Amino acid sequence: MTHLLLYTDPISEGYVILFTGLLIVFTSLVLLALIFNYGLPIMLYVYKIITKGKDKKISEIKVKGDSGFTGELSAVIGASVHMYLSEQHDIESGILTIKEVKKAYSPWSSKIYGIQNRL
Amino acid sequence: MKKLIIIFSALSLLIFMRPVLGLGTDINSATNASVATTQVDNFEEESIIDEALDGIKTFYSYTGFANSSSGNVIMIIIGIVFIYLGIKFDYEPLLLIPIGAGVIIGNIPFVAGNQTGIYETGSVLNYLYFGVVKGVYPPLIFLGIGAMTDFSSLIANPKLMLLGGAAQIGVFATFLGALYLGFNLPESGAIGIIGGADGPTAIFLSSKLANGVNVLADGTTVKNLIGPIAIAAYSYMALVPVIQPPLMRLLISKEDRKIRMKPPRAVTQKEKMIFPVVALILTTFISPSALPLLGMLFFGNLLKESGRTERLADTARTKLIDIVTILLGVTVGASTQADIFITKDSMLIFGLGAISFVIATCGGLLFAKFMNLFLKGDNKINPLIGAAGVSAVPDSARVVHTEGLKSDPNNYLLMHAMAPNVSGVIGSAIAAGIILSFLG
Repeated sequence: MTHLLLYTDPISEGYVILFTGLLIVFTSLVLLALIFNYGLPIMLYVYKIITKGKDKKISEIKVKGDSGFTGELSAVIGASVHMYLSEQHDIESGILTIKEVKKAYSPWSSKIYGIQNRL
Repeated sequence: MKKLIIIFSALSLLIFMRPVLGLGTDINSATNASVATTQVDNFEEESIIDEALDGIKTFYSYTGFANSSSGNVIMIIIGIVFIYLGIKFDYEPLLLIPIGAGVIIGNIPFVAGNQTGIYETGSVLNYLYFGVVKGVYPPLIFLGIGAMTDFSSLIANPKLMLLGGAAQIGVFATFLGALYLGFNLPESGAIGIIGGADGPTAIFLSSKLANGVNVLADGTTVKNLIGPIAIAAYSYMALVPVIQPPLMRLLISKEDRKIRMKPPRAVTQKEKMIFPVVALILTTFISPSALPLLGMLFFGNLLKESGRTERLADTARTKLIDIVTILLGVTVGASTQADIFITKDSMLIFGLGAISFVIATCGGLLFAKFMNLFLKGDNKINPLIGAAGVSAVPDSARVVHTEGLKSDPNNYLLMHAMAPNVSGVIGSAIAAGIILSFLG
């Protein structure tokens, strides 16, 4: 590879990389798309056969029961929950209570012990 | 106030008393030995003023005012502009503000040799920059992105994955453009990845290819282009809301912009869990060089979707990614030290970066139109979402959404645009892997 680079023109090498690169990116994404389009149902089916209804740990979202439940609906619910939580703070009681805190004496900001101590 | 004056005058008195009392003579004789022998008479008086002046002179020679060059000043102004853009227009403030601050930090003029600058071995900034040079930060960022991303829209509609591939045309076209402009192969590869619109990927690839260390077959060393490439990638990512809308309006007709897509089907939790594992295995088998990026991306997603590791996912998408973003932003910004950054190459890279963004966006849009030729009725896609194929998560998806709303106020494209958006991340990581395997 490195020896080839010495003698070939970088531009033509560039074209090779251009086309093979694009081809590879596309094929890998197409493969991924195909697998998720056709392979995933098979995988889920196989999983179902293997476990045979033993799977109770993870509760499944029933797709058929919620066919009317679209992404928009869930977005609305999500937004309302978010707004409720973020504005919850505003519904606090307006009564302020200021309690006096008793502390042991500390001379850190004392006016008595200054540099120009004129008693 | 009075106290301050007293303290100050006491201190200054002490400082000026020192040479008079002969406390500083040993230092003085060492530096002014020749002067001392010839001017024995008025040695005492002059030494006070001399030393004070000398001190002030050396102090001045160490200040930024003495060492600043026009390049430093320009870069500091650019840094301030970055911060301004981030605050005022909200263009990716999480990136632009750390980078802007980093640009200012990196361009404060200093005297070399005191382990101050980012390029001096042993300086603190240099240690932090290590994560950029060795490509440590980008995979960690990808881990966080994986833990944040919801791939469900992609699982529901896998054909949208092709749009993420189409936008990678920008990467390879820029790669070719850089070759024609006279960059050598590895440098061009690193410049091309700007078109992937993915900051971490760009940094990762440039740290492997254009790091100023690698030696080519003909004996020349590659240039260090990490700074310019990272800055170009991040600044164009921040400018996505400016670059993309005109292209969308230019290429997509009004009717096409109004196409409504049917809502994606609900995706089960099991599918979401299978996705990262299968995608990890498949993509990294095809392009193993992208393993650090894709491995971490899908690992982060598995943490999110497994339902058992919520704590880890939470850390990855909040604290961890925040820490890495801070370090990455500041060090990348600081790496733009004027004497290294302001070159003809950097300007070329900025030009190429803009072109590659345009090509990537156009590639995505046109490919979406092309796909529409084969799709019928309900399945037709809104070509605007092709623009989200350049990664820039989630900014480009948001831009698509707002553009869609402009033509039809009830057409919500965000969910649909997220699919090409995340597949763009996968696509650009694969593209980076391919370039790396060809040229690394």
